[in-house]
Amino acid sequence: MIWLTWRQFRAQSIAAGAFVVAFGVVLLVSGIKIAHAYSSAGVPGCHGAGACANAATTFIDQLRGSSTELIYYTGIVIVYLAPALMGMFWGAPLVARELETGTFRLAWNQSVSRTRWVVAKLGLIWLAAMATAGLLSLVTGSWASPIFRAGQLAGSDSVSLDRLAPQLFGAQGIAPIGYAAFAFALGVAAGVFIRHTIPAMAVTLVGFGLVQLAWPSWVRPHLAPQLRQYLPITGANVNELVVENNQFIVRRTIFKPGGWVVSNQTVNPAGRPFGGAPLQACVSGPQSACNAAVNTLHLRTLISYVPARGFWELQWIEAGIFVVLAAALTAFCAWWIRNRQLT
Amino acid sequence: MMWLTWRQFRAQGIVAAALAVALGVVLLITGLNLAHLNSDSGVATCHGARACATAANAFINQLPGTGSVPVFFGTIAVIYLAPALMGIFWGAPLVARELETGTFRLAWNQSVSRARWLVVKLGVVGLAAMATAGLLSLFLGWWESPIFRAAALAGSDSAAVTRISPQLFGAQGIAPIGYAAFAFALGVTAGALIRRTIPAMAVTLAAFGLVQAAWPLWIRSHLITPLREYFAITPANVNELAIINNTQMIVRHDVEKPGAWVVSDQTVSPSGHLFSGPPTHACLSANASPNACNASIAALHLRALISYEPASRFWPLQWTETGIFVVLAMALAAFCAWRIGKRRLA
Repeated sequence: MIWLTWRQFRAQSIAAGAFVVAFGVVLLVSGIKIAHAYSSAGVPGCHGAGACANAATTFIDQLRGSSTELIYYTGIVIVYLAPALMGMFWGAPLVARELETGTFRLAWNQSVSRTRWVVAKLGLIWLAAMATAGLLSLVTGSWASPIFRAGQLAGSDSVSLDRLAPQLFGAQGIAPIGYAAFAFALGVAAGVFIRHTIPAMAVTLVGFGLVQLAWPSWVRPHLAPQLRQYLPITGANVNELVVENNQFIVRRTIFKPGGWVVSNQTVNPAGRPFGGAPLQACVSGPQSACNAAVNTLHLRTLISYVPARGFWELQWIEAGIFVVLAAALTAFCAWWIRNRQLT
Repeated sequence: MMWLTWRQFRAQGIVAAALAVALGVVLLITGLNLAHLNSDSGVATCHGARACATAANAFINQLPGTGSVPVFFGTIAVIYLAPALMGIFWGAPLVARELETGTFRLAWNQSVSRARWLVVKLGVVGLAAMATAGLLSLFLGWWESPIFRAAALAGSDSAAVTRISPQLFGAQGIAPIGYAAFAFALGVTAGALIRRTIPAMAVTLAAFGLVQAAWPLWIRSHLITPLREYFAITPANVNELAIINNTQMIVRHDVEKPGAWVVSDQTVSPSGHLFSGPPTHACLSANASPNACNASIAALHLRALISYEPASRFWPLQWTETGIFVVLAMALAAFCAWRIGKRRLA
C-alpha cells in the first residue's frame, strides 16, 4: 500500500520537493548575507539598550529596499499559499479522481482492505502535507529570525516585523502545519462529496480561503490569552483628535513591540467608552488650549493585547484546533469510504 | 458549436457569475455609502486648496470606521487572483480534459471542423474571461474614485492610494483584461502540451504567478523610460543616516511624489556617482556634536536621484501593458491551434 501510495503521489511530491529545495537554496544564500550584515551592524556584541537599538536599526535600514525585503515578503506569501495548494492539488483529487474515473471499483476491491487503503493514502499524504508546511515555516522562520530579533531590539512599531501581527502570525511557527492538515482534509472531504475533481478543487480553494480570511479577524481574538492595560491619554500623547459633526474622537495608538494589540478603546474616568460633544477649546481656539482641555478630561485608553511571550501559546492553540478539525474531517471521509457501495 | 460551448462551460460560467454578482452587491452597498460620506464631507463642493485638503482629510479619516478598508484590499486581491483562477479552472481543462479522457476523438471528428471547434471554444471562453476581469476592474474603479480624488486633494503620497503604484496598478483600469486573456491562453497551452488536467492546472498557476510577480519588479518600468529628477539633500531633509562598520555611510532622502510611482531613489555624489561613504569625520567621532555632523553632510553636496513614472503616464502604461499581454495571449492561442490541427486522432 505504501508503494502504491508513493507511485500515485510521486509526481506531486517530486514537484513539491523540488520547489522546497529551490526555495531553500535561495534562503540559504540570502541567509548567509543577512547573518553577515547582522554581525557587521554590531547587533550580537552590543551592550546597553540604546546601543543595541541603534545597531538593530542600522541592520534593518540596510535591508530595506534590498532583495532581502522581497524574499521576506515572498516567503510569507509562499507559507500562506502552500496549505491551500496542497489542499487543492493533493487533497481534492485523492478520492474524487477515483470516483470520477470509476477506478474506485478496482482500488477498493483488492486483497488490501478499504480501511488500509484509507489509512495509507490519507495518512501518508496528510503527514506529507504537514511536513511540507512545517519545513517551509521552519526554513523561512530561521531565515527571518535575525530580522525579528532586530525588530524587537529596535522597538520597531512596524507590523511587518512583528511575529504576532495578524498579517504574519499564520506564516510563523507551527500554525502552517495545522493549516496544511486542515486544507488537505478539506480537499479530501470536498472530493468525497462532490465526486468531480475540478469542482472539488475549486470548492477547496474557496472554502479554505474563506476560513483563512475570517480566522484572524473573528476567531483568533477569542483564542488568545490577553492582558488588559490602562494608559493615560494627555494632550501631548494623543494620536488622533477629530472633531466632526458634533462628535469628538480622541485616540492614542499603542504599539507593543513583538506583541499584538487586539483592541484599543478610549474610556472616560468612570471606565465607560468615551464619546461626547467636542470641547469648545478644540472646535475653536489654538492647539495648546485644546491639548490642555483634553488633559482635564482624564481620559485613558484601554488596550487588550497579547504580549510577545504569548506567541507560542497562541501558536499551539491555533495549530491544535486545525489539526483536530482536520482529524474530524478525515475520520468522516474514512467512514464514508468504508461504507460506500461499489456499484 | 455555440450551444456546445455553453453547455460545457455552464457550470464554470454560472459559478463565476454568481461570485461576481455577490462581490458586486458588496461593492454597490459600500460604494453608495462612500459616495454619501464623500458628499457629506464637502469634498465635491470645496473651494480653494486648503479647504479642499481639509475636507479630503476629514473624508479619509472616516474611512477606517466604515469597513471600506477591507473591502478595498479584498477587491484588489480578488482582481489579482481572478485571471490566475480563470486560467487554471477555465483554460487548463479546456483541451487537457478532451485529451485525457479521450473525448477529443469524438469532438474533433464531427462535421464541425477542428479549427472552428477551437475558434469558438477559445473565443467564447476567452472573451468571457476578459469580460469578467474587465467588469471587476470597472466596478472597483467606480467604487474607489472618491477615495483617490480625496487622496489627490489631500496630497497623500501613500502607495495604497496611488493608482500607478506597483501594488495597485495591476488591479486598475484595463490591465486585468490583458492578464485574463494571457492566463486563459496559458492554461489552454499548458493543457494542450501536458495533456493532463491537474498537472496543467498546477503549471498554469506556477507560470502565471511567476509572470505576475516578475512583471512589476523587472519589466514594467522598462515599458516607458522613467523620468529622472535630482533633489538636493540637506541635513534638514535626510530621512536616514547610518554608519556601517565605520567605513560605509548611508544618507537617504526619501523623495515624496504624490500620485507618482518612484521606481528608484538613489543618493549620488556631485560627480553623479552612487554615494556609499566613507563617513565624514564629524559624524564618526563619538564626541562631535550632531551639528558638526550635519554641517559635514551639507558640505558633501549630495543629491537624491529618483526615477519615476508620473501620474499622467497611468493610461499609456495601462494600454502598453494590456496590449503586450493580449498579443502574448493571441500568440499562445495560435500555437495551440497549430498544435491541435496537427494532432492525430488515433
